Amino acid sequence: MSRLLVPVGVFRSIVASNARAFPLISHRLQSTHAHRQPQSTPNYLESADGLMGDLTARKHRHARTVRQFDAQGNELDVYKDGPSAIDKAVHLFFFTEILRGMWIVLEQFFRPPYTISYPFEKGPLSPRFRGEHALRRYPSGEERCIGKSSCKNIGKLHQYPMLLQLANFARPSAQPRQSPSKARRVWTVREEPQNMADIDMTKCIYCGFCQEACPVDAIVETQNQEFSTENREELLYNKEKLLANGDRAEAEIAANLRSDHVYR
Amino acid sequence: MRSERATNCAKRPCCVGKVCRLFMLSLRGVRRYLSTVSRAQKYSMAPEAPQDPAAYCRELVRKHDYESFLISKFWPTGTLQDGYFAIKAFSTELAMIQDNVSVATIGAVRMQFWRDAVRDIYADKPPRHPVALALHRATQNASLPAYHLKRIVDARDEELRTTSYPTSDALVAHAESVSSSVLYLLLALRGLGGAEDLAHAASHLGTAQTLATLLWSLPHHAGQRRLPIPLDLSVFDFAVLANDHMLTAREVFKSTGGKVPAVAMPVFLAGVPVASFLEQLEQVNFDAFARSLAMRDWRLSWRIWSGYYRRVF
Repeated sequence: MSRLLVPVGVFRSIVASNARAFPLISHRLQSTHAHRQPQSTPNYLESADGLMGDLTARKHRHARTVRQFDAQGNELDVYKDGPSAIDKAVHLFFFTEILRGMWIVLEQFFRPPYTISYPFEKGPLSPRFRGEHALRRYPSGEERCIGKSSCKNIGKLHQYPMLLQLANFARPSAQPRQSPSKARRVWTVREEPQNMADIDMTKCIYCGFCQEACPVDAIVETQNQEFSTENREELLYNKEKLLANGDRAEAEIAANLRSDHVYR
Repeated sequence: MRSERATNCAKRPCCVGKVCRLFMLSLRGVRRYLSTVSRAQKYSMAPEAPQDPAAYCRELVRKHDYESFLISKFWPTGTLQDGYFAIKAFSTELAMIQDNVSVATIGAVRMQFWRDAVRDIYADKPPRHPVALALHRATQNASLPAYHLKRIVDARDEELRTTSYPTSDALVAHAESVSSSVLYLLLALRGLGGAEDLAHAASHLGTAQTLATLLWSLPHHAGQRRLPIPLDLSVFDFAVLANDHMLTAREVFKSTGGKVPAVAMPVFLAGVPVASFLEQLEQVNFDAFARSLAMRDWRLSWRIWSGYYRRVF
């Protein structure tokens, strides 16, 4: 608000105080009418009911622009050589616009920069941010994952065929089943070790359901969003990669886990 | 912010810093070596030799249910205390499921895991979850009826789909299956499963416990746009209802002058935090959103201690 008002107001007051020095600019900036308004005293003669008294009416008539006529009695256009209304508007708006723009630039000059030098500085992340997957361990170092396949099943249960497709349910003797749509398979189950699944990170939509469904809090989505690789194969994560992620981010994961008290 | 600090440290161009950094690097090398050694040990660990389930349960209860952790000190150390932690961790784990899932269906998946876990615990093949393992150990040391464990799971499962309770009776029924079942299990753990008057007191105490917990967490639930207390009651009525159940529970021990039998006292210590909370609520004129209620009561450990020796709750 102040940014908008200050320069305009300042400039107008400067012009108004030196009205005699540049009368034309003063007039153009101050007037909002095509007519030049007389500097009139407050009208005490007007009654409260909005009707005009005789004196007031005479005064208005007096203030009206003088009409001029030539020798033949034709009326002359008194504004013919003056600036048009559009000219005046252009002067007013363009000039203040420039000043306002310059004022904003000046303000920004004294402000801290909005940008960060990205790889070295990082922006804030919500503790609920869902990024790269990881598998956690118990404090003793034992793996949490017990191969319950809840993470994979939740996709099926939720009728998101796009999200997750179960390739092979966790039965040691079962033959690998072909997924209906191979192209959209996020999880691929392997028999070894422990029915652990591979995740295709290029297909995951990071909904976080696998994390919510895991009864042993094994799979989590960490805060890491910088895991770009040079080829696609590296984005097919296996158990070792997931555990390594978990080992790297365990402190962060533990700090970000949500509920900290029994509320029921 | 963390990374900013890291870059600042890295930019510091003084020779002391360099020496320090060299020192840190060498330390890091040692640490990495040590961690690879321990990692190797970790990998060589047999899958059937998990981390100590009792320690896990103790840590879980200490972190999420501190009042129960304080009470645990009055359980005899050893199998009884481990059993206490197992039962409490089980109930804590189930209570937190709803706050950890975004959709009820996902919660149902986790409930199903626990339903299966209870079945498998009694079939002597518990899943490799520390709480389940600890519970399994507890069932071997004491006769814990599976019925109560199942009842807790079922009630929590039901709770997932319940947005609010129309009447206080519905809530009281739920509270009994959630909290009183835990107390029944604790009584059974103490070998008092057959005592009917104790079970009666436990049922009312458990109800009061859940009601007090819901009142305490009202600001939390309101923040999630949920109303845990029934629609037909105000905060005052609700607190009165909880207090009524406390009084009824105390009534049971009238014949002994209000004193709980020493052997059952650790179970009934659960009433001390409830009574303490209700008193606090009265002091703030039943303003459930008062800030003082959100803070942990510093006199609680004293109250539990004195309650244990005076044998009242």
